[in-house]
Amino acid sequence: MAGSVQRLWHKLFWPWAPASEREASEAIVRNLWLHWFPAKVSGRSMSWSYSFWLGTAAASLFVILTITGVMLMFFYVPSTERAYGSIKDLEYAVSFGRLLRNQHRWAAEGMVALAFIHMARVFFTGAYRGSRVLNWMVGVALLLGTLMLSFTGYLLPWDQLAYWAITVGTNIASQAPVLGSTMRYLLLGGNFVGQQTLLRFYVLHVFFLPAVIWIMFAYHMWRVRKDGGLAAIVPLRAMRQAEPKATPQSKSYSLFGLTPGTSVAVMSSMGLEERDQVASSPNLTRRMILVFLTVFNLTLLLAMLFNAPLEGPANPSVTPNPAKAPWYFVWLQELVSSTTVHLGSITLSGGLLGGILLPAILLAALIAWPFFDRSPANAEGVWFPRQRNRQNAVFAIVSVAIVILIIVGLYLRGPYWHLYWPWSPRPVLPRVL
Amino acid sequence: MADPRDQSSERQDFDWLVVMSLIFLVLVAIGLWREHATAWRPWQRSFKRALAQAGRFEDARKFHPGIRQIWNPELGVVDRCVSCHLGYEWSGILPASLPQPLAPHPALPFMAHHPFGQFGCTPCHAGQGWATTASGAHDGGAGWEEPMLSRQLAASCGVSEGELIQMRCNYCHRRDQSTEGMDSINLAKKLFKRRKCLICHSVEGQGGHTAPDLTYEGDKDPDLFDFSHVSGPKTVFNWNVQHLMVAGTVSPKTAMPDYNMPPEQARALALLILSWRHINYPPQYIPQAAASPEPQPSASPAPNPAASPAP
Repeated sequence: MAGSVQRLWHKLFWPWAPASEREASEAIVRNLWLHWFPAKVSGRSMSWSYSFWLGTAAASLFVILTITGVMLMFFYVPSTERAYGSIKDLEYAVSFGRLLRNQHRWAAEGMVALAFIHMARVFFTGAYRGSRVLNWMVGVALLLGTLMLSFTGYLLPWDQLAYWAITVGTNIASQAPVLGSTMRYLLLGGNFVGQQTLLRFYVLHVFFLPAVIWIMFAYHMWRVRKDGGLAAIVPLRAMRQAEPKATPQSKSYSLFGLTPGTSVAVMSSMGLEERDQVASSPNLTRRMILVFLTVFNLTLLLAMLFNAPLEGPANPSVTPNPAKAPWYFVWLQELVSSTTVHLGSITLSGGLLGGILLPAILLAALIAWPFFDRSPANAEGVWFPRQRNRQNAVFAIVSVAIVILIIVGLYLRGPYWHLYWPWSPRPVLPRVL
Repeated sequence: MADPRDQSSERQDFDWLVVMSLIFLVLVAIGLWREHATAWRPWQRSFKRALAQAGRFEDARKFHPGIRQIWNPELGVVDRCVSCHLGYEWSGILPASLPQPLAPHPALPFMAHHPFGQFGCTPCHAGQGWATTASGAHDGGAGWEEPMLSRQLAASCGVSEGELIQMRCNYCHRRDQSTEGMDSINLAKKLFKRRKCLICHSVEGQGGHTAPDLTYEGDKDPDLFDFSHVSGPKTVFNWNVQHLMVAGTVSPKTAMPDYNMPPEQARALALLILSWRHINYPPQYIPQAAASPEPQPSASPAPNPAASPAP
């Protein structure tokens, strides 16, 4: 009886645990989904307080987005006549449609935020040095890809919010010198946001950009592996290498009999000792499942509590007052509007300075930063090392400035792009009836 | 930093995994429950009871719960209003005293020419046909530009609900001289002629060119109106009413004379002006003014299979 209950339990729950070190590493190496993990992982790489598992959380969001996105594709029609209606159908008539769309929306906003916060973590821990420079650049590309993915998805509901946000966003892009208007024409498939734009954004959103991001993500992970894991192990490895090796006592046979002495000390290829590492199965896999499940629950909870925004159908002849770019670009819109100067009847557009030059400089600085970083090697893989104070301060100030601009643009800008406190009354906008 | 070699850290991860799994199960259960507990379900139960009380046991037995809609792609109508407003075509069978949303639609004289299955609800009443919740259907939520023409909305404009709806009748009937049941719009059309508005304004290519073209005046962005000299609510309707009464006050530089017309005339004319919109209804829905002044949808489209079964 007890035996059959146990067998049933085993069948239902697969309570497998590796019986030996070898079995644990084979569980990783032989598995298609896990083979890109190391068989053993350092405790420091696994630590919550070092990485906060932000990259894993962002990747979890991407998995959630892919799954919910594919399901949404069964209902969404990328035509200007039917796109809005298909979203309304999802909201009101399709089983779990609203939940699906909400979760997709909040996961998307979360992925933009987490990709940035993950980058901030890597910066503050100086984890982009040496061989990790390449992966830092891949990471910047992944952030840009995430922004593009989110931006292209923003248009798809074809409501007023989408239509005018894309109009604002692409108008900012058109301010680029020489190529600006060509770029805008290429992106929109014409001179204004229309059916061609919707189709282009749809193909970019559901195929091209996700494919690029999946490939870059695979490379990103492979590089982590090739770089020996997270930079958290760098200080640990330095410590281990500096330590006098307590080599184990042993006896060996010589020609003349037994000789007392020491044997060689065994270190892993990462330069760590046995005791610094744990088997990836089940330690790493379990924690990954935990992170994924937590992120999934959070997005599901958000999807239940808050509805994804959806306004009236896109109407090119009525501009919402005010029309705002998506939140992660609203700081650019804020810069454009505040660098626009009115001198009497002359208006100097801030589009070039605020919309193109400044973000281009920031992006170039981000990519080139590792090459100008002169901090000593022992400032790598730890949070806020003293030697990197000045660099970290620059990064923090720019980040905070961007966040403040986003908050101003998102919450304080009211009708006619005037500033209002959240508690001060805003003018009532005229309606038809 | 928790050392994962430590047994307690492993234990902790496992415990959190159990907690998260339980939270996941709870969320899924809530999701399933919310999917079932829709706003329309209780109304459909009441409707079934109302059918049985009216002696229609067979109909009550055949009634199955679910989202109902009137679908007419020609008009772009997807009206799920009938998921709750279930008694709409049971006039004469169900008592008119039945409370909303179950009450039958009043059997108005022109209803014979406007079958539900062909016209739906929103072409006359506005609101959001896609919605399956009362607030979503009636107000439409954030940024919805065409809220339902309710009694409250009519009262805020100083007209009756019927008069407000006449504005939408005129989307199709705009070329009629006068139309049965559209008294307010008929009055406005008469006034428009009597006041010789076409001397300055033009409508559909006819009239003068000294004043703005009014062909699609109802589509004009509300943000483009100057409300600095308008008292009361900031609506295009109110702007038009006051502008028709004393144009010089609302637009100090205008050449339009002050007509000093009574408010009810100004309101009727304002509704007429707002009815002039660019509406893409198929030609069989537009009555031919010269051929017959009566509204006769000439080539009737086939009865709609998606509509709810007729009693």
